[in-house]
Amino acid sequence: MPLDVIMPALGMAQDTGHLVAWKKKPGDRVAAGDVLFEVETDKSVMEVEAQGEGWLVDVAAEEGSDVPVGRVIARIADSPGESGAAEAQASAPAPDAGAEAPAPAPDTPALPEGRAVIMPVLGMAQDAGLLVAWSVEPGARVEAGDTLFEVETDKSVMEVPAEAAGYLAATLAAAGEEVPTGEVIAILTETAPEAPVTRTRAEGAAPAPATPPAKAEEPAPATPPARAEERARPVSPPAPAPETGGRLLASPKLRRLAHEEGLDLALLRQAGVPEPWHVRDLERLRALAAEAATAPAAAPAPATAGLRLVATLSEDSLAGTLAWAAERADLAPEAVLAGLAGAALGLPATVAVETLHARSLWHVPSRRLTAVTAAGEDATPSLVLRDLTASRLTEIAAGPEPAPVLTLTRGPAGLTLTLEAAPGALAPLAAARLLDGLAGRLEDPLRHLF
Amino acid sequence: MTRQITLSKAVNEALAEEMRRDPTVFIIGEDVAEAGTPFKVLAGLVEEFGTDRVIDTPISEPGFVGMAVGAAMTGARPVVDLMFGDFLYLVMDQLCNQAAKTHYMSGGKLTVPMVLRTNLGATRRSAAQHSQSLHALVAHIPGLKVALPSSAYEAKGLMKTAIRDDNPVVIFEDKLMYQDKAEVPEEEYLIPFGEACIKREGRDITLIATSSMVQVALAAAETLAAEGISAEVIDPRTIVPLDEATLISSVRKTSRAIVIDEGHRNYGITGEIASRLTEKAFYHLDAPVLRMGAMDVPVPFSPALEDLTVPTPGTVAEAARRLCRGEAMDAA
Repeated sequence: MPLDVIMPALGMAQDTGHLVAWKKKPGDRVAAGDVLFEVETDKSVMEVEAQGEGWLVDVAAEEGSDVPVGRVIARIADSPGESGAAEAQASAPAPDAGAEAPAPAPDTPALPEGRAVIMPVLGMAQDAGLLVAWSVEPGARVEAGDTLFEVETDKSVMEVPAEAAGYLAATLAAAGEEVPTGEVIAILTETAPEAPVTRTRAEGAAPAPATPPAKAEEPAPATPPARAEERARPVSPPAPAPETGGRLLASPKLRRLAHEEGLDLALLRQAGVPEPWHVRDLERLRALAAEAATAPAAAPAPATAGLRLVATLSEDSLAGTLAWAAERADLAPEAVLAGLAGAALGLPATVAVETLHARSLWHVPSRRLTAVTAAGEDATPSLVLRDLTASRLTEIAAGPEPAPVLTLTRGPAGLTLTLEAAPGALAPLAAARLLDGLAGRLEDPLRHLF
Repeated sequence: MTRQITLSKAVNEALAEEMRRDPTVFIIGEDVAEAGTPFKVLAGLVEEFGTDRVIDTPISEPGFVGMAVGAAMTGARPVVDLMFGDFLYLVMDQLCNQAAKTHYMSGGKLTVPMVLRTNLGATRRSAAQHSQSLHALVAHIPGLKVALPSSAYEAKGLMKTAIRDDNPVVIFEDKLMYQDKAEVPEEEYLIPFGEACIKREGRDITLIATSSMVQVALAAAETLAAEGISAEVIDPRTIVPLDEATLISSVRKTSRAIVIDEGHRNYGITGEIASRLTEKAFYHLDAPVLRMGAMDVPVPFSPALEDLTVPTPGTVAEAARRLCRGEAMDAA
């Protein structure tokens, strides 16, 4: 898949990078990690590496030139012959990225003209940053140096200052979204906006930092299908903020109150309330929770999902136990299994023991294994024990059946005992006790005595 | 009955009353006798108690503090006058290795009922070596108690308690406040250690302040009240022992706190108190606990610069406003 090679932001307040030298020529094969070019910052000369492998094509910046941060200056393509229309733009004068007003996508409000703010490169090998929070309200004024937003890198949360004074007229990513470095995430204007634009990245309306003419002239037939898919950004109505699994930022007091009232903080993120949240957001959260509770078809989980618990046993515990029982009391293995399982479930029990080829039913009246008797075929089991250790199956997830099912399988790491039950058939703790109880008995038959 | 007296007079009265009450109490230090100290706090005492109990010394801080430690160990109750808190550095061994540890290391056989009376506070144009607020240094040492009077009323009550305490106590008066008046009872009163005083009740934010910063916080609270923010101002009065319960109960009520102290912000009193609040009132905090202290620079000699290095009612009010708005913080 062709990769854009951009001029990265190597410093916090860096607008342009001085391209000192190309280390690869157009048409060269590059591997991930190869140095593509060198950039001079005000501190030193830094090497920029390829983020993927392929062939270097569409080289669009000359050695010795100053390239605006975020500008696409080359591509790494799947074959040496690929080329986009960007080559035709190579000699075009480089407009200031800050002054460009990106062409609006159809069906979305036009983005204001102003200074583009990009997701900066904050670490050496960083290709995306998690936007933790906007530090300023949309539409508010910032001075140069004021913290504009916070980014989480793999090391820490860093505050990114505004490089110039202005009004936050547009935000193009929401708190919690991951943004590739170099992508425009905000626009600062000189005059206060009437209606600040607030978008999320999920809506896909963020413009690429490259100049619009290059994008608009890209002829569709000339581009490989993969690239066309990459370029296509569906414009959909505002979607709820994606579940990034990132931390929800709330004050300790709000967290406690939300917990006490059983409210889900994630509702605030879905509603787009800017983080961090405080106690004054509690009212809103209560309202959102009330809405969610009354929403139709708000079934959080399908009714068919049952309980599934898994335990592992040491390899030869089963064989040892059965051998012990056979030696002690001349008991059939199925009876032993039924007796142990029944005791784990709760006595008295009727246990069906199944293997790949046979099924038997047993009455388990007491802990005395010798008291286990065969039951008639029409008996209704309260528990099914499926011994599949003689088969090659290593894992099972068959879904709930009328009675709880304990399945024994043999895997590379030993024996696995899986308990599956229909929702409501067994309370989670009772299920855990059952599984643990049988597993323990299989590993150490003496446990059966207690 | 109360009357308005200056902090200087309040300290003077406390010492005179304790010296009348207990003949083992004596004062030792530089220029304490005829001069009554450069701040004139001890004026009149040598006339009443004589040079055996109000003792002038040469410029020899380690020497006379050491003498006081020895005197305390052998039955006296010295009040040592350290002319500027900045001179603490000179007496650290006598104070922190000897006075602070003697009771413990002697298995309880010896006590050091010594009071070290000194001062803190900048903005007097005394420059870096005569303007420091070093109470954090001694608060850190187990075995020492530390009192910080914030007005004439506290100064008298805390001094009397200090003299009667069998442990070494360091009292810091704010040198800028000696002429500030407050209502002080005529009758005898003592202020116990480990008891904070809520100087102003509030609902929205707790301002914990020491020494002259109490006045700064109260002024900030006035400003904030006009803007609809109700600030509670608490004076811990002693930082060792510290009345944690009052502070935490306040933060549980307001859910926001700023700790204001004139020591340097880094590694100081504010960090300790803020830490305890975060630890014990965590689930009641709706905002980070802020610290405001003196800038981490040597106190400038230039008046314009010096005034910028300490918290003021304006900076405290601004920090409180931002906390109440829920903004990300970078309070200086």
